Amino acid sequence: MENRFKPYLMIMPVMIIIMGIFILGLFMGLLQSLGYFKAIGLTEITLDYYKEVLSSKDFLSSLGFSLYVSIVSSLIAVVLGIVLAYSIVQRKGKGRLAEVIFKIPISVPHIVAVLLVYNILSQSGILPRLLYALGLIRDSSSFPSLIYDRRGIGIMITYLWKEIPFVAMVVYTVLDNINERLTEVALNLGASRRQAFFHVILPLILPSAFSAFIIIFAFSFGAYEVPFLLGPTTPKTLPVKAYVEYINPNFANRPYAMVINMIVTFICLGLVWLYFKAFKWISKYTGDFNG
Amino acid sequence: MARKGIVFRIITYAAAFLLAVPLLVILVWSFANNWPWPLVFPKEFGLRGWEYFFSPTSNSISILLYSILLSLTVTLITLLVTIPASRALALYEFKGKKLVEILILAPLIVSPVAVAMGIHQLFIKLRLANTFFGVVLVHLIPCIPYSVRILKNIFESVGDKFQMQGKVLGASPIQNFIYVNLPIISPGILSAASLVFTVSFSQYFLTFLIGGGRIITYPMIMFPFVQSGDRMLASVYSIVFILASLICLRSMDRLLKKYYKRGDYFYL
Repeated sequence: MENRFKPYLMIMPVMIIIMGIFILGLFMGLLQSLGYFKAIGLTEITLDYYKEVLSSKDFLSSLGFSLYVSIVSSLIAVVLGIVLAYSIVQRKGKGRLAEVIFKIPISVPHIVAVLLVYNILSQSGILPRLLYALGLIRDSSSFPSLIYDRRGIGIMITYLWKEIPFVAMVVYTVLDNINERLTEVALNLGASRRQAFFHVILPLILPSAFSAFIIIFAFSFGAYEVPFLLGPTTPKTLPVKAYVEYINPNFANRPYAMVINMIVTFICLGLVWLYFKAFKWISKYTGDFNG
Repeated sequence: MARKGIVFRIITYAAAFLLAVPLLVILVWSFANNWPWPLVFPKEFGLRGWEYFFSPTSNSISILLYSILLSLTVTLITLLVTIPASRALALYEFKGKKLVEILILAPLIVSPVAVAMGIHQLFIKLRLANTFFGVVLVHLIPCIPYSVRILKNIFESVGDKFQMQGKVLGASPIQNFIYVNLPIISPGILSAASLVFTVSFSQYFLTFLIGGGRIITYPMIMFPFVQSGDRMLASVYSIVFILASLICLRSMDRLLKKYYKRGDYFYL
């Protein structure tokens, strides 16, 4: 009797907060995106706002830019994160240095990371100054502009600075638990080091690398600060664009902001769905899974 | 073989270098009164930025303390609600467990921008917008999943055998929790608390939207300096941010260690 209700009592406080703020917030956003916004007298459910947003050129270029920035930066972060984690494990020195590498970016918020990148890579930053001192560039404007640029280099480098160590930390915990003998067995059986890595180690770290990819992709795809501070005026990333619509004094614009938010949400949830599909597929091969 | 080892070493050191150098650069910037292009070193060092920070007109210190108070409140509430939930998820089987887990972890994936804009209207109606408590409430959303992830792992690795032992020996549920459970899971609580504090302390958008400009936290006074590219002041504020969070995390660590004097725990 006691045991049947006990777990529900234990999860209740968290669930009240999750349902009352997170789910309700999403639900109200969804309603407004469908044109239901009682405060200004809109009560008819319609898909018109979705149609309008999805056919707007401005939106599509923002969507493309957001996808491009998040996919490219997250992919690079995952690849380099795996390389870094593998190097740290191989180095075997253990301890301090790895801890410093993992901990620095966690305690530095994105706003500060933006400043770090700005200080070094803007046209009057440290890097162009060094290049000038070495006589490699003639003036600050001959240094390519990597900040506020349409290729989103500044945004991506900021994310990479924070995310590579994060991926490395996630992968490191898995690598550290993999029995070293696995590689030795592969080597003994005649595999080259490269083969041992790609056929033995990589499949084991892939599930956690993939889940790290989803987390950093979703974060960068839904984040406001970094693209707001370092991004170009056009195209804006989706969350920045949603906010611009949101603060429009005309309340009739609210549904557009919510449509953008919902599309961002759908894309991230779709990715998670893909992840579970892939997990089923991967677990067929590895038989084990550590998300 | 030996050459390979060098490659790994270089990669590791390069990573540490690329992480540390930008931080050194802002340290130098914070003391640079005058550092025009194209000089590689500042022309004139000084304390102008720091004087501004500590001057009563900038109000920075009280905002910093307020911000710490807010994030400590968020940390405390997050722990209070996630400790029982994580225990339930780790040690009990119940209907709907999978769904509960998905819902708790979902804020890691869903954009906080979408959630905040969706709930804003309701918060205004309930008079939670522009209040300390309202901001604390929205901060809980990104913090809960991190805390549950860490605490659930700890509860899974500890199991409930110690708790059973306590029960058999006649401890009441409350005694059991305080004297048996808490000391064992305290390292997990510490890492959850540190991460939650950091997440809350770094929050900009949620505070800015739900706080409506009335609730001013430290990242909000820092933001304009970064935005306008005022490198000296932005650097000063950034350094204070990092130092403040390190000091807070350190003191949490101390406090907990002092409370539970024993250093290491058997399950580790």
